[in-house]
Amino acid sequence: MSQFTQQVILGLLLGGVYVAVALGFSLVWGILNIVNLAHGALVIVGSYITWDLFTRLHIDPFLSLPVDAVALFVIGYALQRSVINRLIRAPLLFTFLLTFGINLVIVSLLLLIFTGDFRSVTPSYSGSGLQLGSITIPYIRLGGLAVALVLAGILWAILNRTRIGAAILAVGADRDAAQLVGVDLRHIYALTFGFGAAFAGVAGGIISTFQSITPTAGDPYTLQAFAVVILGGLGRVSATVVGGLAFGLIEVLGQSAPGLGAGYANAIAFVVLVLVLVVRPRGLLGRLA
Amino acid sequence: MTMRYIIRMRGERLAPVLAGLAVLLAACGTGGNGGTTLTSGSTIVFGAAVSLTGAQSKEGGLTKQGYDLWLDWINQRGGIVINNVKHPVEIKYEDDQSNPNLSATLVQKLITDEKSQFILGPYGSAASATDAIIAEKNGIPMVEANGAAQAIFSHGYKYTFAVLSPANKYLTGVLDMAATLNPKPITIAMLTANDNFSIEVGKAVEDYAPSKGMQVVFSKQYPAAAPDVSGLISQAKQANPDIVMNSGHLAEAIAINKAAKQLGLNAKIFAYSVGPSTPDFISALGADANYVVDGSQWTPQVKYTPSFYLSVGDYVKAYEQKYNSSEPPDYHVAESTGACLAFEKAIENAGSLDAAKVRDALASLNVMTFFGQIKFDSRGINTFKPMVVEQIQNGVHYTVFPADVANGKPQYPTPPWSSR
Repeated sequence: MSQFTQQVILGLLLGGVYVAVALGFSLVWGILNIVNLAHGALVIVGSYITWDLFTRLHIDPFLSLPVDAVALFVIGYALQRSVINRLIRAPLLFTFLLTFGINLVIVSLLLLIFTGDFRSVTPSYSGSGLQLGSITIPYIRLGGLAVALVLAGILWAILNRTRIGAAILAVGADRDAAQLVGVDLRHIYALTFGFGAAFAGVAGGIISTFQSITPTAGDPYTLQAFAVVILGGLGRVSATVVGGLAFGLIEVLGQSAPGLGAGYANAIAFVVLVLVLVVRPRGLLGRLA
Repeated sequence: MTMRYIIRMRGERLAPVLAGLAVLLAACGTGGNGGTTLTSGSTIVFGAAVSLTGAQSKEGGLTKQGYDLWLDWINQRGGIVINNVKHPVEIKYEDDQSNPNLSATLVQKLITDEKSQFILGPYGSAASATDAIIAEKNGIPMVEANGAAQAIFSHGYKYTFAVLSPANKYLTGVLDMAATLNPKPITIAMLTANDNFSIEVGKAVEDYAPSKGMQVVFSKQYPAAAPDVSGLISQAKQANPDIVMNSGHLAEAIAINKAAKQLGLNAKIFAYSVGPSTPDFISALGADANYVVDGSQWTPQVKYTPSFYLSVGDYVKAYEQKYNSSEPPDYHVAESTGACLAFEKAIENAGSLDAAKVRDALASLNVMTFFGQIKFDSRGINTFKPMVVEQIQNGVHYTVFPADVANGKPQYPTPPWSSR
């Protein structure tokens, strides 16, 4: 029983990472209608910033998260304003191609700057954790989950408690109507993409503490973000939180499948995803379109 | 010889002058002795299709370095000696672009168009397997150094030989070492990536452990390149194993080591098949990399006493000089040079450049080199060279097993995470 509890906790902790990764992805998809294939690459840019600050200036990975956010916000804003805006009303396929290309460019740049070597951030406290009987909760992973939930709160507050948020939601609901009432579309687009990138960067910072990073390490996270958004449903912060936690839980419980079944942990997670879609096409918490 | 004879005849009268001359001649004699006694024969052409571009360009490049290192050395000496005739050597390269199918096409081209008499293997098990078919079809001997999968040798090929230890030996050396330690570790938790090579390595451990009085108490596969393994590690922790083993890849080895620390999985030995031997493993994990062991084909610290070519120390020096490197050669380089040495000795032993005769000489080859013993079983696999075991101690690699080639002692048991 305690082993099962331990697995559930680990699943939720991993889910926290997925929440952090998927928040920005979901925002950009929901508001701009862009499935951002470069999202994983932006995540890894955040990882490298955290790694660089940790190895060179010995800055704690959690303290460097705001740096990740600001840097990625600037990159995201510039990217949207200068490149992606030009294709914003183009068919979905074109934005696929564009963001795929951006992904390749970012990965290649990272290869040039950081080479293909494996990097990781290992702070001194990475081995300590909360011990509850036979259950271990590593502080560093707990910190990751906490950051993810704070991020979700910040995004919710931005969208629902600020004028910028109202403008973003308005653009998401009807861009032409929003423009008619005086919303600067290009600025709001770029802001939205910037927020999305900033959240990706923070997720990257968290990721660097528990796995090794290489320039291509972000690719699986684009897929996972996609799965989380599908699972939770598009258009609500709470849906991403539920989707992310659920996906992490399914993956870790999949690892405890008996015998060779654990080798199919990813496959199990995606089968569950398909089942959810069959039963509830709008996702666990998604709004009806 | 004639010169010296004349000098000796007149020596009585010109003694003081000739003494000096004799010294000079003697000096020349040692330097150019071979050159004056042996005539020079036809050039021997080797062909090699290695990955110089694509996903495996790094490893392909290391393979080529190993071949070229020997090429320089043998040609400096005038070439391979066959019946007192020195034959210079040439290696023709093709780039297989990390594509095993292209590799086979290029090997055929090397044989028919470029008249290669012998084939040096490509990088990787997949390309080695396709090249072996071509070597067999053409009756051209191939010695490969970078394909460890035993499947390459399950077709009864007569013309393909591998100088490296096969996949099933990657972690069994760690068990051999563990059996010598006190208190002896008994229980093993095995985490295996679900790709063919890793499964072969993992299965060999499960088959071998009982013969050493050990027991695999936990065994799980996981999807290759899984970023998070914390679920597996917490399950393994329940089994309370003495040895934690991973048959997988560098990224997973790092993730497993991190998760073991985060979740407090303490074992007496942590052994990973791939990863710890790279500098990345130490730089990514820092002090947490200490005590980790892995099996390696070769390390720059091994103490073999070769019967020809360079000693281990001279080999490392030659490499660092030729490639202007501050890092010693990696095992990919050493095993590739090993393939060349197998050919050199087999051609000498055959006393001929005839493909079938060289093939037979390879089959009966038994030499000690800086890379270890080279001797092939009936399938063509070098099952006689042991894998050595490396351990990271204070951020430095030490070879710790087998004891007769080691430069350090195993640090055992690994202290628990809480007291490191």
